[in-house]
Amino acid sequence: MPTRFTATGWGALLFCLMIGSAWAEVVVVVSVQNPVETLSRAELSDIYLGRLNRLPNGASVVPIDQREGTSTRGEFYKKYLGITPAQVKAHWSRLIFTGRGQPPRSVPGDDAVADVVAEAPNAIGYLDPGPGLVDDRLRVVTVE
Amino acid sequence: MTRWEIVFLSALLVPAAVVEAQVEDSPTLSIQGFGTFGVVHSDEDQADFVSNLFAPKGAGHSDDWSAHVDSRLGLQLTANLSPRLTSVVQAVSEQRYDGSYEPSIEWANVMFEVTPALSVRLGRMMQPSFMTSEYRKVGYAIPWIRPPEEVYRMVPVTNFDGIDVNYRSRFGDYTHTLRGSYGRKDAKVAGGGEVKSRDTMLLTNTLERGAATLFASYGRYRLTIEDLNPLFDAFQQFGPEGEAIADRYDVDDKRFEIINVGVRYDPGEWFVMGEWARSDSRTFIGDSRGWYVTGGYRLGDVTPYVTLARVRVDGETSHPGISMVGLPPPLAAQADGLNAALNGLLGNVAQQKSLSLGARWDFARNLALKAQYDHIDLDSGSPGTLVNTQPGFDPGGTVNLFSLALDFVY
Repeated sequence: MPTRFTATGWGALLFCLMIGSAWAEVVVVVSVQNPVETLSRAELSDIYLGRLNRLPNGASVVPIDQREGTSTRGEFYKKYLGITPAQVKAHWSRLIFTGRGQPPRSVPGDDAVADVVAEAPNAIGYLDPGPGLVDDRLRVVTVE
Repeated sequence: MTRWEIVFLSALLVPAAVVEAQVEDSPTLSIQGFGTFGVVHSDEDQADFVSNLFAPKGAGHSDDWSAHVDSRLGLQLTANLSPRLTSVVQAVSEQRYDGSYEPSIEWANVMFEVTPALSVRLGRMMQPSFMTSEYRKVGYAIPWIRPPEEVYRMVPVTNFDGIDVNYRSRFGDYTHTLRGSYGRKDAKVAGGGEVKSRDTMLLTNTLERGAATLFASYGRYRLTIEDLNPLFDAFQQFGPEGEAIADRYDVDDKRFEIINVGVRYDPGEWFVMGEWARSDSRTFIGDSRGWYVTGGYRLGDVTPYVTLARVRVDGETSHPGISMVGLPPPLAAQADGLNAALNGLLGNVAQQKSLSLGARWDFARNLALKAQYDHIDLDSGSPGTLVNTQPGFDPGGTVNLFSLALDFVY
């Protein structure tokens, strides 16, 4: 009896961990009207650092950022670009104060990203896919 | 509203945007700023350490701990007047040639995007001579407290007035930026005088791929320092010998050239970068060769870094001057004075090597605290990059600096 309980307990724990980690995975999304299905890490990095405003297929792309200081933003830059928020800030300081660019527009939270990206066929965003967030308006982009 | 912003943004990036919606052409204005509050201590009290060659006061002789070396405040207005027209005005307050902190206009230009790849700027811009030149004053954006003097001092003037054309292309994962500038600049020097640069031409080439950057630049100026003309005019009066000296060392519409190459690799957790530059001119300024190598490792919010740098001059740092043999005593005395003045200029060139150890701490959003120790080894007979040398100064020794700086952007 105790053994079975433990097994169930572990199973439940494992299940929770899987769900938990799945929720914690920040994903990159585009509108379903956008044909993009995969992006290389380098392309995604260049898009978010202002070095690339067209996709390999020639279509324009506009990155949507999340507000500074949020955990989703921190995780996105760490996971996909390998840099800290301070490094992102230093990067944009180099462009802003030389008149070479302004950082991507930021919106407050995952819901806002979902709404904005769903409406704009050339936008790209990232979000922590909570229940119902990635609906039939959005497609998760595979980043390789 | 956000949705319209997106549409507007798309229109801005690609005039023939896929987005169908029509949006009003609403211009945007943003105000951003940066600054550094820094203090420097030098153990050499008979000369000043400065980060700007034109500044009159620094650390060492003028102040034991000086806040004048690295402190500055910058404010920038960026106006997106239309999707293809951007204007930037940036004012910076820092120690000027006259010791005041009166703000000067560092940038003031209008940029027109002819195509997404080609842009033209008119007005005042920073000189892109070195890899980090354009943002050398934004402490938050650079790894050190200040760019290594051994290289960056070769072009102490930061901006110019003129035109610049920027062409950016992309092939595969490579981004290539070619830039050409043409303009002029007058820079006032501490203690009076002015350096005039005319027909300033700069070509820079940047190749980026992911974490790697390769930079190369060539600059050509016509330099004039009018305040030195009386000295060299006096040399001219001593016949062919004096004329030859004046022709070799004066700075009167003389060509000054500089080339620089730089590399940077910054995959995220660590970085290395380095630059090498050489300047050439037929003036007393001397043909400098400088380089530095910097590396750092990011441990969470703390980034320790180390820099090695060297600058030396090719050619003579002294000259026998006008031969006084057979000159009548009054003329000989005058020649002696001129020779001393010439050797004063020639011997004053910067030759040194340095080792710097520092750390940057990103302790809060938009704020970074840096501490840096510099050990400078002056070449024999040279004051190095030190200025304001006093009679008691002994060239060729070592100097230790300790600096603290708080960098911010807002």
